[in-house]
Amino acid sequence: MIINGVSIDPTFAEAFPMKGTRVIITAQNLQWAMNSAQAFTGFATSVIACGCEAAIERTLDPSETPDGRPGVACLIFAMGAKGLAKQVETRAGQCVLTSPTSALFSGIQGEDGKDIPLGKNLRFFGDGFQISKMIGGKRYWRIPVMDGEFLTEENTGVVSAVGGGNFLILAESQPQALAACEAAIEAMKKVPNVIMPFPGGVVRSGSKVGSKYKALNASTNDAFCPTLKGQTRSELSPEVESVMEIVIDGLSKQDIDEAMRVGIEAACALGAENGIRRISAGNYGGKLGPFHFHLQEIMA
Amino acid sequence: MSALTFKLIFERAQRVDCSPLSGNKLEGKTVAEIAALPLVAGRQPVTAGEVFEISGDDCRHIVFENSSDKLDFIGHGMSDGEITIHGAAGAYLGQFMSGGQITLNGNSDIYTGCEMKGGQIKINGNAGDFVGAARPGYKNGMTGGTIIITGNTGARTGDHMRRGMILIEGDAGDYCGSRMVSGTIAVLGGVGRHLGYAMKRGTLLLNQAPAQGISANFNDCGSHTLAFLPLLFAEFAKLDSGFAKVSPFSRVQRYAGDIGGIGMGEILVRL
Repeated sequence: MIINGVSIDPTFAEAFPMKGTRVIITAQNLQWAMNSAQAFTGFATSVIACGCEAAIERTLDPSETPDGRPGVACLIFAMGAKGLAKQVETRAGQCVLTSPTSALFSGIQGEDGKDIPLGKNLRFFGDGFQISKMIGGKRYWRIPVMDGEFLTEENTGVVSAVGGGNFLILAESQPQALAACEAAIEAMKKVPNVIMPFPGGVVRSGSKVGSKYKALNASTNDAFCPTLKGQTRSELSPEVESVMEIVIDGLSKQDIDEAMRVGIEAACALGAENGIRRISAGNYGGKLGPFHFHLQEIMA
Repeated sequence: MSALTFKLIFERAQRVDCSPLSGNKLEGKTVAEIAALPLVAGRQPVTAGEVFEISGDDCRHIVFENSSDKLDFIGHGMSDGEITIHGAAGAYLGQFMSGGQITLNGNSDIYTGCEMKGGQIKINGNAGDFVGAARPGYKNGMTGGTIIITGNTGARTGDHMRRGMILIEGDAGDYCGSRMVSGTIAVLGGVGRHLGYAMKRGTLLLNQAPAQGISANFNDCGSHTLAFLPLLFAEFAKLDSGFAKVSPFSRVQRYAGDIGGIGMGEILVRL
């Protein structure tokens, strides 16, 4: 398959099941909501070392938030509900509770009513002065803090999700690969229910499973490293000088399908004349996860 | 199906215990079976058919017509469905109810919503003393649900209240929020003396400052913009109540008390 001179590999991205939740952070203005959200989703690029994958999903108008203030929706994913709960609680405590004027709400209904704590345990920071309020069947905690009160919902819902959707952009130069990634991310940000958790949404250090070093279970994806074209069993043709990857986590396979479609479309729109040569994807022979995203099916 | 209707045949001299006439207790019964149900009027056993003219068959929607303040325990322990009352209601309206809706087009007597757990009671009129309270000797008043009163309430509104909301569009009587454990009482009109007496926790939200001032048992915590109030008003907006028409505010003067006890309750006065 070729789109605008860009070859779409007959391969698939392989993804795995995760547990996810959405939280809404509001503040006096969008800047402060964003400050808090950026801290909340910081150091959350990969479950491999961060414990979770998280990013800002989108900004919210005051009309879309529970307390009528500007807000930010964040998605956070982990391998299980227990790990997710730990990450949410730690991050909420250190990054939202601490952030001036912030308030924290659940942004999703749990599957079968399954919840994890959001402010449930943060309330103890109130040292006995915390106040519970049941409003509309939900429990909120009002925790006295130095700028007034921190308002947080007690729980947030947990849903099954999909992590690790991805595609690779192969280009003639590093600036061209990055430009295609930027165009793809810009388009993918408009898709709801997905995040691209790496810095700016882009990964330059895609990995393969295993390593020559026993202590490591992942290492550089040498088949896609352009400087190793003559040293390893390379997947790259001579004209490809740079490869970048976009990793996608989403609340469902369909959400990731859509994000990949618009992302690849945007990258291909730059076309071969801008040095974009191929779109490929990372998989592990179908052994890693049950979710397979076949590039040519998605772009058909 | 038409609403199951209980029309009071004549004004009773003695109080009638209507607790057997809640919808969930009548399910599957015919009008004749319902008419044969034993009630107690004063000290005398009577049948429902001797007290009410009964018609209709939808026990999920019950109507009391010509109702009077002698009819106690209407909606006792109801878990769903709807009760509409035309006229007054006696004591213990909606006691122990856990769901459903009671609409009273008249005044209610004492202990409205006593120890209710859920659902909604709307009183288009005034309510007596001890709205949402615990029975004498019991520690927990209402633990959930909403009571809306378009008129005024008597004394001790929310006595021992533990959760839920009481919304008073008129005035609240003396000792409003007394011994309150938690929950929210909001008042659009005035309040009587001894507001929040022996209150432990919970919120008394006032649309206007009490004419007689705040009790010395409450300490002024200053003026604040509280983030939970917009959520509360958003919830009010869903209700068929004058509270839905109040322009939301989040700026309040906060008083904490009753400091004669643990002092974790609060009175919030609109600024």
